[in-house]
Amino acid sequence: MADYILELKNISKVFPGVKALDDVSVSIERGTIHGLVGENGAGKSTLIKILAGIYQPSEGRIFMNGKEEHFATPIEARHTGIAVVHQEIKLAEPLTVAENMFLGNVLTDASGLVDWKGMRRRAQEIVNDLGMDIDVNAQVSSLTVAKKQIVEIMHAINANSQVLVMDEPSAVLTDRELEVMFRIVRQLREKGITIIYISHRLDEVFDLCNNVTVLRDGQMIDTLPIEAVNREKLINLMVGREMGQEYPKEKVEIGDTILKVEGLCGGMLKDISFEVKHGEIFGISGLVGAGRTELARAILGIDRIEKGTIEVRGRKVRYHNFRQAIKDGLGLIPEDRKLQGLVQIMTVEKNTTLVALDKVIRSGVINKKLEAEAAQDYVNKLHTMTPSIDTQVQFLSGGNQQKVVISKWLFQNSEILFLDEPTRGIDVGAKAEIYRLMTDMVKTGKTVVMISSEMPELLGMCDRIMVMHEGHKMGELSRDEATQEKIMAMCV
Amino acid sequence: MDTTKRSAKSVIAALAKDWMSVVGIILLLIVFTILSQVKFGEQYFLTWSNFKNILLQTSAIAIVAIGQSILLLGGNFDLSLGRMLCLTSCVGATLMKAENPMPLGIIIILMFVIGLCVGSINGIMVAVIGVPAMIATLGTQYICYGLAKLITQAVPIPKMPSQIAWLGRGYIFGQIPVCAVIMVVLYAIAQFITTKTKVGRNIYAVGGSKEAAFFSGINVKKYHFGTFILGSILSTFGGLVLMSRLNSVAVTNGQNYEFDGVISSIIGGVSLAGGKGRVIGTMFGALFLNILFNGFSQMGIDPFVQDVLKGIVLVLAVTLDVIGNVKKS
Repeated sequence: MADYILELKNISKVFPGVKALDDVSVSIERGTIHGLVGENGAGKSTLIKILAGIYQPSEGRIFMNGKEEHFATPIEARHTGIAVVHQEIKLAEPLTVAENMFLGNVLTDASGLVDWKGMRRRAQEIVNDLGMDIDVNAQVSSLTVAKKQIVEIMHAINANSQVLVMDEPSAVLTDRELEVMFRIVRQLREKGITIIYISHRLDEVFDLCNNVTVLRDGQMIDTLPIEAVNREKLINLMVGREMGQEYPKEKVEIGDTILKVEGLCGGMLKDISFEVKHGEIFGISGLVGAGRTELARAILGIDRIEKGTIEVRGRKVRYHNFRQAIKDGLGLIPEDRKLQGLVQIMTVEKNTTLVALDKVIRSGVINKKLEAEAAQDYVNKLHTMTPSIDTQVQFLSGGNQQKVVISKWLFQNSEILFLDEPTRGIDVGAKAEIYRLMTDMVKTGKTVVMISSEMPELLGMCDRIMVMHEGHKMGELSRDEATQEKIMAMCV
Repeated sequence: MDTTKRSAKSVIAALAKDWMSVVGIILLLIVFTILSQVKFGEQYFLTWSNFKNILLQTSAIAIVAIGQSILLLGGNFDLSLGRMLCLTSCVGATLMKAENPMPLGIIIILMFVIGLCVGSINGIMVAVIGVPAMIATLGTQYICYGLAKLITQAVPIPKMPSQIAWLGRGYIFGQIPVCAVIMVVLYAIAQFITTKTKVGRNIYAVGGSKEAAFFSGINVKKYHFGTFILGSILSTFGGLVLMSRLNSVAVTNGQNYEFDGVISSIIGGVSLAGGKGRVIGTMFGALFLNILFNGFSQMGIDPFVQDVLKGIVLVLAVTLDVIGNVKKS
């Protein structure tokens, strides 16, 4: 029989009106990396919160090392040996690495004062132990996102940590930063710590995990050794239906050049030239900070351009602000959906008409009926899951929020759409729907420029991919010649 | 079935929240009517003459509060509104009482020009440059107050021109105060613009999320600037109403109006966080406050205690708002 460090038996969690977890049993083998996957709302977070002592299970029992445990508070869970790294990085930015590592757990000397020296020494030991190059006296705000993530991990684990739970640690990391984190995770496993790893990126699960548990709609679907599944099967288990193609790419007739950029300089951008043809999905790849978003902003008149020309439909343009670009048929689905894409406290209806409000205005007054019709029309067309068009968008899931952002620009009928990280933080099922929408866009005569950090989706959806690095264009690959390796080679 | 039940409940909750101030007003009317009967054996509270009083006292404040609540909807606020009112009134009164006064019309235009100047300064600092509204408008508040004191030497100016008497002391059919009618009309216009027009929708969008509004092609700076300008116009006009009603101008005119505007807005359901609430609610919020203090005065409660009570009402209203928001998320 396998040696289980942690066993969850028949766990249920009921919230008023919702059964978030329904009779879930999972056993975690000692010394393994155990993947936990499922779509948004599958119950992953609830399960983590029960392990972390934030929620109490309505039913079921938890065994650790064969002994039954009750985690009434996060502190109890921590003392029993469960360390949790939550999705968002929560560090005190102005404090040093060492201070952050001992946050809430400060070492004191004999007289009860803070033992700074001891803390710094201990912190340095932990850092060295992991083979990391981090200055423990550096301010956290000066670190890269990846290093912050590692500080967060070091903060979470302590001397008696036996299980480390990581909730989507990769969401904010680029591929290269990921490598470093994977190394750390593997090292922790060598040191005998068992890891529960939650991620939307299935590649990581295959790279890293020994076993994987699939949750769907609050139920445990299956726990399998990673060798026993492939990507397709895992997705089908998560979604609960045959997904069909993950990337619904269709042949669309490619027309003339609709957007032409030549020798563009400004801010960090250095001499960028490229052309996008009507009907294309044009991908822009590169590491975070390569200047991809900046390029879109410069073209759209948001940031200043120092040099270079932009032609739209063969006509030279220079937008002085974003509004001019919108009027000229361009649009942007911004990177930060929550903050930049939608007014969270406004309804689905009002967000839908935010860009093209003029279309529902009759003699100076907003026509309620026209507005409701327009909003409902896009909810139906895009299959947006919302209780009604009067629901505030903050209550929708990420994928459905993104659909509302897309509705906004479809209603405006923008011809050239820039999509900046359109599927970030969106689960597998909803991602496929976003890809389907992109295909629909180009089929109905629009042109899409897609910025993404996820190479599989660029390879899957784009006709051509441009690679950027530190503000430079490193090259361009056609759909046929593009591979992950070739792009990676240009990225660095 | 579950969902219909929940939505019915949330509709009632939403209505109760929307009309919290109106419910409050009705409760106050009932309580003070009973108290008046019990205390005096006669009805002094629920009489038309008392209600006229309340309307007179509310009008100027409520007019300034329109500006404040639209500023709040757009995600800002203006702490200089009260003293801006004071400055424009003091300049106006001084010019009106000069030995060879200019035509009244010119003086009134000048008052609005000064108000617009202050509003523009606020707007440029906050909307264009990005100084926090708190600091920028606190600064102009002091500047306005200082200038008002310098101009009048802090001496009250009595007897305003009779041509403007109708504004604050006139009655329609001898019964309905003109200023109350103006107040209601202005609120009706403000409510219409904020809910039915593009300008209004965009103010809500800018207040709800500056970033998202920007990325939807809304000129955020223009809207922020515009709300400061609107605030200054309404504040100057409120000053005219007030000087007419009091038939005098002193440096205490408009004192605390900016805060009373904020309190009325919050009681009326406008969120401090921006982008949420209705302008019309602010009118009921202002009425609520004035009915409360009118009732207290009639009951013989020390006026100094009234400030304490105002504070309590404010804290309660904000706390309820915050609890409501926390529950939702």
